[in-house]
Amino acid sequence: MESRERTPEWLKKRLVVKSANLSATKKILAEFRINTVCESALCPNLNECYSRNKATFLILGPACTRACCFCSVEKGSPGTIDVKEPERITKAIKSLGTRYAVVTSVTRDDLPDGGAAQYAKVIRAIKALSEDIKVEVLVPDFKARQSSIEKVLDAGADVFSHNIETVGRLYSVVRKGADYTRSLMILKLAKYIVPRQITKSAILVGLGETESEVGQVMTDIKAAGCDILAIGQYMQPSKDNLPVQRFVAPDEFERYRDLGKRLGFKSVMAGPFVRSSYMAEDSYNSMEGKYNDGSEVAAVGGRG
Amino acid sequence: MTEVKLPPLAEGVDKASVSYWHHSVGDNVKEGEDLVELVTDKATFNMPSPASGVLKEITVNEGEEAKVGQVLAKIG
Repeated sequence: MESRERTPEWLKKRLVVKSANLSATKKILAEFRINTVCESALCPNLNECYSRNKATFLILGPACTRACCFCSVEKGSPGTIDVKEPERITKAIKSLGTRYAVVTSVTRDDLPDGGAAQYAKVIRAIKALSEDIKVEVLVPDFKARQSSIEKVLDAGADVFSHNIETVGRLYSVVRKGADYTRSLMILKLAKYIVPRQITKSAILVGLGETESEVGQVMTDIKAAGCDILAIGQYMQPSKDNLPVQRFVAPDEFERYRDLGKRLGFKSVMAGPFVRSSYMAEDSYNSMEGKYNDGSEVAAVGGRG
Repeated sequence: MTEVKLPPLAEGVDKASVSYWHHSVGDNVKEGEDLVELVTDKATFNMPSPASGVLKEITVNEGEEAKVGQVLAKIG
């Protein structure tokens, strides 16, 4: 398929341009030299989320030691760990008024613990700021080191997330250096170590998988004990990344949402613009049953 | 007169192409309604009109590229 096929109507993102919050958020992130995955991944939801004072912090970066073909995060040799990073993050959180912080990182295969200690420090620093601030971490696979997963879990994040990203068959193309079974193992281990831990995962569709393969990966993720699932359309960040194989129509996302509910996920977000961190707070709250209308979540993703 | 400028779309994205104007010169446009469709490497955006008035001039035509901050149109 042509990678530059005309964008279907449902994949046109409404741009937020007039927002005082948008520029204020950018200013705060710049002031504390915060990297965000929103910017590194060229996320189409950036203006929308920033205008709601929401950003996903990218720690241990900006450079990633892996070179996954779907991702536009800078690849290369990362520098030393910034000991001031937890402090910079908490200052930004304070300025932004964040009540639900989402923290992710580049993959750090160069570090013996994969960066787990830094995650723990960031989580603890946020919780020290206020116990009321919820923290969601989206971690790399840590090469399935149990000690790294334990380190992160010990720090007490409210949601522990690891993205499976795609179906097993496409790992060699999409996530070189990762392993499907190993990634599922991260989710399993988290539940095994802390049975009450809320876990989350996300996949991208449109990378060449079939609908039945998506069903299989959803089943596998559920079997790993996962509570929250997010499914969104893959978009090619640059010409150097994998081309989009297929634009998944809204009705297919609806089928994934239905399947997710039947499988027993506590919360499922599925829609073209859904990403693992997109509306993470709503996703978490809907799981608690405060905001339980799955169709509304899809409408948000579809409308953009 | 309001100048419609290409807003920043993402860090490191300094340009976008105009793929479609929802209005023609001379049309009345309302603040907040779709004015122009923009395409970056990653995504397609619909940009709402920043003001109400008559679309006086289109300075970047469909198929052309613009840089962040460049004037795309004028509304008066």
